[in-house]
Amino acid sequence: MVEMSAAIIQGVPATTLDTDIWVDLPERQYMRLWNLVKGQGGVGLAPTMYALADGSLLNFIFSMTGLRNFEGEYKHAKEMLWNGLKIRVLPLERIYRSKKASARDKDMAHLPLLANVIKAQKMNEGKNKQ
Amino acid sequence: MLKDWKRVYRNIRSLRGLSEEEKIMIARSLAATPDERWQMHENFLRSHGLFSHWERKASGFKW
Repeated sequence: MVEMSAAIIQGVPATTLDTDIWVDLPERQYMRLWNLVKGQGGVGLAPTMYALADGSLLNFIFSMTGLRNFEGEYKHAKEMLWNGLKIRVLPLERIYRSKKASARDKDMAHLPLLANVIKAQKMNEGKNKQ
Repeated sequence: MLKDWKRVYRNIRSLRGLSEEEKIMIARSLAATPDERWQMHENFLRSHGLFSHWERKASGFKW
């Protein structure tokens, strides 16, 4: 899991309209994802965007700006338990880096909050160790 | 867990550049479990009638 959905489950008090999942697939194989989602009752809205049966949005991402390739990032991804599943999430520092590199207005707007939560997380973990 | 947010708040209260309200908001979010964090996010969207793609379309959103 990447982008703001990954940031939220790591403790960033924000909101997002979709759940972003980085997939290790070439983009031309998006039909595999399309079939997978359709099989679960979802609807394709665009080659990367799907509405699931409950109306929530799922966005598949094939490459991330400013980061290493999938394999390079996956090795350092954080393992978390979410919705009863063990998942890998992109750490906050890497989300920050990617957003800064992509430099879209909506990404730049998230940087101060991400930076503050990264600082707070470190401070909290440091105090807990003492 | 979310109910332990005061402990986290004590740990981060010397963080500079944030108001007390912002520190409390971050403390609550850091104290929560991943499932609680996601629930808070979904509750926020639901409170504005923006949880599902279909509700958002009706409100004029692209997605």
